[in-house]
Amino acid sequence: MKDTVITARRKKTEVFTFIACIVVAIGLNIFAIAKYNTAWSELYSQIVYVLVIGCIIYALWTVLRLVFYGIIGLIRRL
Amino acid sequence: MEQKTISRREFLKEMGLVAGVSLLASSPWFSAFAQEQETQKEKARLAVIGTGSRGCFHLNMFVRDPKCEVVAICDDYRPSIDAALKITPHANVYTVYRKLLEDPNVDGVLIATPLHLHREMVEASFQAGKHVFCEKSLSKTLDDALAIYKAYQNTDKVLFVGQQRLFDPRYIKAIEMIEQGVIGPIQGIKTFWYRNNDWRRPVPSPELERKINWRLYREFSLGMMTELACHQVQLGSWALKELPNRMMGSGSLTWWKDGREVYDNVSILYLYDSGVRMSFDSIISNKFYGCEEQIMGHEGTIEPEKGKFFYETIPPAAGILQLVNEAEKGIFESIPFAGPSWVPETANKNKGEFLIGEKPKEDGSRLTDRAFVEAVITGKRVEKLVEEGYYATTLSILGDQAMQEGRIIDYPDEYKIDYLNHKAPSALAPAAPENV
Repeated sequence: MKDTVITARRKKTEVFTFIACIVVAIGLNIFAIAKYNTAWSELYSQIVYVLVIGCIIYALWTVLRLVFYGIIGLIRRL
Repeated sequence: MEQKTISRREFLKEMGLVAGVSLLASSPWFSAFAQEQETQKEKARLAVIGTGSRGCFHLNMFVRDPKCEVVAICDDYRPSIDAALKITPHANVYTVYRKLLEDPNVDGVLIATPLHLHREMVEASFQAGKHVFCEKSLSKTLDDALAIYKAYQNTDKVLFVGQQRLFDPRYIKAIEMIEQGVIGPIQGIKTFWYRNNDWRRPVPSPELERKINWRLYREFSLGMMTELACHQVQLGSWALKELPNRMMGSGSLTWWKDGREVYDNVSILYLYDSGVRMSFDSIISNKFYGCEEQIMGHEGTIEPEKGKFFYETIPPAAGILQLVNEAEKGIFESIPFAGPSWVPETANKNKGEFLIGEKPKEDGSRLTDRAFVEAVITGKRVEKLVEEGYYATTLSILGDQAMQEGRIIDYPDEYKIDYLNHKAPSALAPAAPENV
C-alpha cells in the first residue's frame, strides 16, 4: 500500500465544504421552522438533527464529487 | 435505628415540588410543617394501638423520625406485639388500649385497628387528652364517622386520617396542575384497583379467622370499599372541589368464594351536580390494569399513580423532522417496495411526561407520619384533612350501600358536614349564642 498525501489545499477545501453543508442544514432548519410554523427554539433544540443532516449532505456531496471526477477521469483516459 | 433529619423543603425539592403559597392553597394540611425549624429539638411521644401489618408500617416510620419517640404499643394479639417489639424494643406494652390512654407520657396515638373499633378508640383518646392519627377508613358506618367528626369538633386536639395520597408528591403536583388549568376543566375521573390475590392472611388456628381476616367479614369491614375505594374516591373532592350527591353501583362475589362475606368484584359510579362522574372499579382476580386514577380534562389526562400526564393534543414534531419526513415520503411513496415512514411516528407517540420529573420513589406515607409528629409537637390542627378523610369514608360506605340495595343512593343530608358544596343540617351547626 502506498502513502497518500492530502494537501493543505484539499484540507481547506473539505473544511469549507463541510461548513457549507452545515450552513445549508441550518438554512433547511430555518426554512422548516417557517414552513411548519414551529417554535424558533428549534434552532438550538434540534441542533443534533441539523448536524446529522449536515453530515448526510456532506456525504452525498462527496459521493457526487467522486462520481463526477471519476467520470471526468475516465473521459480523459479515453 | 438510623434516624435521618430531612426538612420538608428538602424533601419537596427532592420530589420536584416547591414549598410555597400554591402548595398550601392546594394542600393546606402542609401547614403542619410551618414550625418545623422551631421544633427541631422537640419530640412527640407517640403510642401505636394495633400493631398488625399497618401499625408496624407506621412504627417503622416513627422510629426513623428524630422528632418522635415511640413510648408505648398496644395489641391483644401476641404475635403482633412481638413484631412491634422488634421495631421498638423499649416501648411499654399494653393489651388494653384504655390503660395505654392513662399513660401520661403519651402525647398522641396512632390507631391502626379494625375499623369497627375506630369510633370508641378515637373518642376515648380525645377524652384522655391525646392527639389522634386514625387509619382509614375512619369507620365502618356513617353514624360512627359522624360521631368521630363531632368528637373532633368538640376537642382542640389534632386528628389525622390515614389518607396518604394527600401527602403524596405525585398527587400534590397533579392537583396543582389541575388548579392551574393545565388539563382544562375536568370531565370525568376513572379510578380502579385490580389485584389477583385472595387478600387473606395466614391464620394459625381456625378460631382466629375473623380476628385476623377481619377485612373479609361484614361485621368488621366493607371489604374493597373501605380498604381500597376509600383511598381513591377521596381524589374526587380534592380534584373537583365538589362532593357527589348521588351514587349507584353493583357488587358481586365472582371468584374468591371461600366463605368471605364482602364482594370481590365491584363497580360504583359517583354523580356530581356539575354532571361530572367518578367511577371506582375493583376486581381482585385479575391484576392486568393494576391501580390507577385517570383524571380526564378537556386538554389532558393525569394518571397520578403512574406519576404521568398526557396532553390531549400531541405537539407536532420539530419542523426539521417534518421536512425530512415530507422529503422521504416524496421519494419513497412512489416506489412500491419502500418501507413505512420512520421519523414522525416515533417522535409523535404520546408516552406522556412524568409529573415530577422522574418515576416516583414512594407514596405519601412517610410525609403523612412526619406531619402528624409535627402537629403533635405544636398542637396545631391542620385545615381540611379531617373533612377529606370524613368524605372518603362516607362515600365508600354509601357506595357499598348502593351496591347492597341495588339502587341509586342520595347522599343523606344528616351526614353532610360543612365542606365544599355540602352544608351541615342545622342540628350539626354550632348553636347561635343566646342573647343575655
